Amino acid sequence: MPINGNADPGQLTQYAPTMASLDTEALTLPDVKVLQVIYEIDDSVMAELLPPALHPTIPPTLHVIGMRADDGPLGAFTLAVVRVGCRAAVRPRGLPTRAVCTAGEAASALEQRWGFPITIGEPILRERYDRQSIEVNDGNVAVLSAQLIDPVPIGNGDLLYTAGMHIANVERDGETKPWLVQVDPEFEVSRADRGQAQIDAFDSNFWDAPDLRPVYPIVASYTTANITLPRIRYICDPLQPAISGTVAL
Amino acid sequence: MKFGIFYEISVPRPWENDIEHTVYHRCLEQVRLADELGFHSVWAVEHHFLEEYSHCSAPELFLTACAMQTKQIRVGHGIVVCVPQFNHPIRAAERAAVLDILSDGRLEFGTGRSATWTELGGMDANPDETKETWDEYTRTIPQMWTNERYGYEGRAFRMPTRAVLPKPYQKPHPPMWVAVSSPGTEIDAAERGMGSLGLTFGGFAEQEEKVKRYRSIIRNCEPAGAFVNERVATVNFLYCHPDNETGIKTGSRLTGSFGYLAAQLLPVREVHPTRSYPNPGLLAATRQQAAQNPGEGVSAPEGVCIGNPDRLVEEIKKWEACGVDQINFLLNALETIPQEEVLESLRLFGEEVMPHFRDDQPATTSEPRELAATAAAGD
Repeated sequence: MPINGNADPGQLTQYAPTMASLDTEALTLPDVKVLQVIYEIDDSVMAELLPPALHPTIPPTLHVIGMRADDGPLGAFTLAVVRVGCRAAVRPRGLPTRAVCTAGEAASALEQRWGFPITIGEPILRERYDRQSIEVNDGNVAVLSAQLIDPVPIGNGDLLYTAGMHIANVERDGETKPWLVQVDPEFEVSRADRGQAQIDAFDSNFWDAPDLRPVYPIVASYTTANITLPRIRYICDPLQPAISGTVAL
Repeated sequence: MKFGIFYEISVPRPWENDIEHTVYHRCLEQVRLADELGFHSVWAVEHHFLEEYSHCSAPELFLTACAMQTKQIRVGHGIVVCVPQFNHPIRAAERAAVLDILSDGRLEFGTGRSATWTELGGMDANPDETKETWDEYTRTIPQMWTNERYGYEGRAFRMPTRAVLPKPYQKPHPPMWVAVSSPGTEIDAAERGMGSLGLTFGGFAEQEEKVKRYRSIIRNCEPAGAFVNERVATVNFLYCHPDNETGIKTGSRLTGSFGYLAAQLLPVREVHPTRSYPNPGLLAATRQQAAQNPGEGVSAPEGVCIGNPDRLVEEIKKWEACGVDQINFLLNALETIPQEEVLESLRLFGEEVMPHFRDDQPATTSEPRELAATAAAGD
């Protein structure tokens, strides 16, 4: 059977939030700019990046996601997320290892209501005619610089965003422990571009993904979309295969 | 209704103790039995890098071995990847012709283009261009087979005039097929006068609609080859057991394992948005089939050929009513089912199911036509 992750869930929770409640109302964020840069990664550590509930994709992948909302119910914010592409049983998913978000209501909402592993920072999403980029600095050091180069328009329906499995400490049946929280936003895309993917800086230690090396660019996309963050419907025990460890709420 | 067997050649981890050797030779043993039982054809995929799911990267060799060990069963490429980074069209034409000769004219030539980033990325092929290159292959390969010498200048490749040798044993050339894994591809097959080689199935209603469209369009087709191959084949799983519940339970392990493996791969559409791949294709469809837990299912989805002979006859009659000419069966995945049980299942199918279906169709249902005029600079 396929390779399972072998990371200790406890070691994946350095930046994991504690979610006081899973009773999250859905929320629509209008006109969000979304940059997604996808790379293949070095396969030697693919199993160490995921808990036993998840399988690495073949080949293993990295999703760098930058989002910027200029307005909306959570106010203006910019978010950078690093995810490892994976499967929960047969479902395409991504496991965020760390996210950096500008301070404000969005950061706490994303953390508390949807389990994003948020650190407050100043990610910058830049939009140019010849490229779009997401950058994150830790002090004076660039820990992330990823770009889409030479954008060309594609159909709004050509894009597929995969859901996230967010590791968070969740209290359930009197016990607080790590669970994988399924977050499957809906994207209503109004504009989409595709282009060459390029990562110029990536500090795997900062992103809590030790030894993760982006090695082969796949593609980058840049969209404008209404994103509906969902109610939480499923959680999964990170130690069990998702097919048997998933719990419907 | 004709019956075939279909190979992905799935090899479970750990890949040690000669497991690949064992699996290949088990497949060959199954093929020999299928030949004795009167199956029409054996098909082999071409896949690369698809860990555990398919270790069938050189189907022309596997099919040659099949042909050498059998007498009647036809050997089918299901499919040859028609993308230059995978197969140069001249080599594809040459290899197919040799296989046709060695098999005494038993080759079925399926064409397709791959649906995974795992493969296209691995071969450094551009997913945006595979539809175009596939189209060129389907029009030029028959010209290579039927013209003494042939030259071409196109998008996917060019060649000064040469004799592409040898020529196929079947005249004018082997029947050609198109892999149909996403909705609408059956139209591509029909427009080119090629067989529709289904690699997924939704359900009876969807299949009936596809067949109807296919039959309607192929009447006015411009054949890519020298004749029209009007046939509709679909793929299915096979596990036949005297006890229906045991058959369904064991068969569900097979379908579940297959779908689970398929889901681990990266469909083009998931990571590389392109109009060339509007649907996830094979992988998503097999995932749907695996929606139930592997090994735990006790009810068979609509149309899946697992269970006892009575149930299989009933399901196949429904496929027949949908207009399907042929069903190609996957027999195993991950060696989930022990070899002796696979062979028993085949024997039972041959003895108690096949006799219910007449095999009275000619290999091709249309008279050969003149080669369609193309822009190609043939001799």
